[in-house]
Amino acid sequence: MSFRTPSTIQNRQTLLDLGRTKERLAQNSTRISSGKRLTSPGDDPAAAALILDFGTSIQANTQFIKQADSALGFLKTSEDVVSAAVDHNMRLQELAQQGLAASNTAASRAAIVAEVDGIRANLLALANTKEQGKYIFAGTQTQTVPFTDGAPPAPPTWNGSAGAINLDVTASTSVTTNVSGDSVFLGVGGAPNASIFQAIQDLRDGLTGNSAAQIQTAIDHLSTALDHLTQIRTDLGGRQAGLLALQGNLSGFNLTLQDLQNAQQDTDYPQAVTEYTNDTTIQSATLSAMAKANKANLFDYLG
Amino acid sequence: MPGLNASLYLGLSGLQAQQAALNVVGHNIANVNTPGYTRQRADLTSSQSLIEGQVYFGTGVTLNTVQGIRDRFLDLQIYRETARQTGAEDRYAGVDAVSSIVGDTGDTGIGAQIQAFFQGFQELSARPEDGALRTNLIGKAQTMIAGLQTRYRLLADQRDSADRAVGSLVTEVNTLTAQIAQLNQQISSETAPGANNDARDQRKALTDKLAGLVGINVFEGSKGEYQITLDSGAAVLVSGSNTYELHTTMDATLDGHLRVESLVGGSTIDVTAGIKEGQLGAKLDLRDTILVGFQRQLDQIAAGVAGQVNKLHRSGFGADGLPMNTNNDFFTTGVANDPITGLPVSGGNFYKGMVDNLAVSASIIANPGLIAAAGSSGAQGDNTNALAMAKLQLAGSTVDTNGDGAPDAGPFSTMVGSLISDVGTQAQKWKTQGSTQQNLVSALQTQRDRLSGVDLDEEAANMMTLQRGYQASGRFLSVINGLTDQLVNQFGK
Repeated sequence: MSFRTPSTIQNRQTLLDLGRTKERLAQNSTRISSGKRLTSPGDDPAAAALILDFGTSIQANTQFIKQADSALGFLKTSEDVVSAAVDHNMRLQELAQQGLAASNTAASRAAIVAEVDGIRANLLALANTKEQGKYIFAGTQTQTVPFTDGAPPAPPTWNGSAGAINLDVTASTSVTTNVSGDSVFLGVGGAPNASIFQAIQDLRDGLTGNSAAQIQTAIDHLSTALDHLTQIRTDLGGRQAGLLALQGNLSGFNLTLQDLQNAQQDTDYPQAVTEYTNDTTIQSATLSAMAKANKANLFDYLG
Repeated sequence: MPGLNASLYLGLSGLQAQQAALNVVGHNIANVNTPGYTRQRADLTSSQSLIEGQVYFGTGVTLNTVQGIRDRFLDLQIYRETARQTGAEDRYAGVDAVSSIVGDTGDTGIGAQIQAFFQGFQELSARPEDGALRTNLIGKAQTMIAGLQTRYRLLADQRDSADRAVGSLVTEVNTLTAQIAQLNQQISSETAPGANNDARDQRKALTDKLAGLVGINVFEGSKGEYQITLDSGAAVLVSGSNTYELHTTMDATLDGHLRVESLVGGSTIDVTAGIKEGQLGAKLDLRDTILVGFQRQLDQIAAGVAGQVNKLHRSGFGADGLPMNTNNDFFTTGVANDPITGLPVSGGNFYKGMVDNLAVSASIIANPGLIAAAGSSGAQGDNTNALAMAKLQLAGSTVDTNGDGAPDAGPFSTMVGSLISDVGTQAQKWKTQGSTQQNLVSALQTQRDRLSGVDLDEEAANMMTLQRGYQASGRFLSVINGLTDQLVNQFGK
């Protein structure tokens, strides 16, 4: 048997197929030129949601890396100040040892006081260090001068608050970016007599009073304060090392996420180009067949 | 035995019949490209015989009818599937128009902008004393709001344009139904069933058009007249020679869009929800369901962001150390806030209009120091509230999707992801359905063309045969004429 095949049937089907071929050609052409596999979310809704998900994680991690940079800025400055305080402490111990020597007279001991006062002034300046517009040793009172000298050589008064300033560096962890000023300079929270300013006052009193015993006490207190400062410096260093490691991890994680996102998002060039070439061939063949199919007709042969 | 005159008439009937049949062939050829045309066939039969004694003599040929070769059930099926095809195609076009903007997964997308806003809080937490960071946060909030509003208004524009289409489609529907009713009248008064082929073809072409506009069910009555109802059966459009027009009225419950009504016997029936397919069904579905659904999700996300941020903001302290109170929300919304929780009230309409009215509080724009970064009074370096607000971006339960006033879903990125996936799924669904329907309609039309389409080769062959028939009849006439001449003029010479 044979079906009736009026030419409209053939034309309709060929046009439909041709339309679809052209649609695929346009889509693949966009894929090739934009480099993106998805031209709209409708191409693959699940992949679109995944791409967004990966993007969210990447953006969050990038922000956490930036937060860690900020935290590192504060921690580094704090560490520098504490290191300077350690240096000053060591110089003070040298001066104290010098003043302790039995050969000293009252006058020679008094001469050392000038340098001790100089160091004290330096330490006070360090204690009032500002970083990125805020006093770093004032707790959360960052706009208040943390240490004010009431009655030198008595230790200065601390005006800060004990609040820790935390920054989030991952979704679930945060890092404390400050150390409390009263801990660093007044020894609060450390061993008894860990206050460097108190030790300076003791030393100064011993030197001006020409008392070897008092100087010896000051040396002991300076040593305690040094231990305390070193401990704080180690803690600050440790926090920075932790942050650097974290940044490394986040960057690595982001690379992986980027790879995963690209796998969903980017054009698979060999596939797109192959499909494109294939469709071009189909298109030419279809057009040529259409042109031929409509040519032959019985009317051509009737006289 | 029939006389010579009878033979002459017999020859004449042959000539006339061949010519009439040729006329049908010509009509077929002329309409080879007419949409919806059904090929016709001349139905020739031999005439009643004459009985002479015991012998039956033929009297030639008669043209009984000109018959259209059609399958009316196939037609009815095509109407139904055509409506579904245009319905799916129009829905796809509507969703596709917004999908790449609403579904933007890149840096300019809603997801990235919401995240950037919360990261503004993170940046602020590093230096809450810094006025520049406060201004930066306000900028990010405004970018996020603009991003949400661009999408929201795009959807609103699409709904409005669908609404305008509803108005003009209803007018087109009424024009078509009036024409179909008129043809129904002609067909039901035809001389013999199926005789008025061309009226049927015209009616079929018009009904095809009608099916593209609106989903319909078509039944053929005993006299060949069409009864047309909406696909849901909610209203009758055409019954014999009567039409029941559709009307549109502005309806406040449809956001000021048009309600479609059927006017029957002086009373109106709301058929807006009863139009499912065709362009009209698709526009109504886009306007009242699909695009509204996307808008609702945006409203819910915006309500989540504004409500959660405001709630925490109220418990914080500004740069001057003063506590925030209920007058110092970060965001102002067009939606009433719960006086205790500070969360916007759903009001049973799922925070409708939230995005449209969302703004950063004017007092905060005027004085960024009012941003409550601190969690305790008088500590400018305190960032605990900023940290708490930044944490909202990853918090699990921040968006109220069921309208009960309590957050039940989140985090925001997941909600944006589900919106994008919704948009994508709708686009994919209607595209697939559109292709499937296109295949189906094409297959049905092929089936119809196999039966009813004009095949030029066939017409050429018929033409040849009829031409020969005509020539032979002519020849026969001239022979009979010769015989008559012999009888009248030659005898008796």
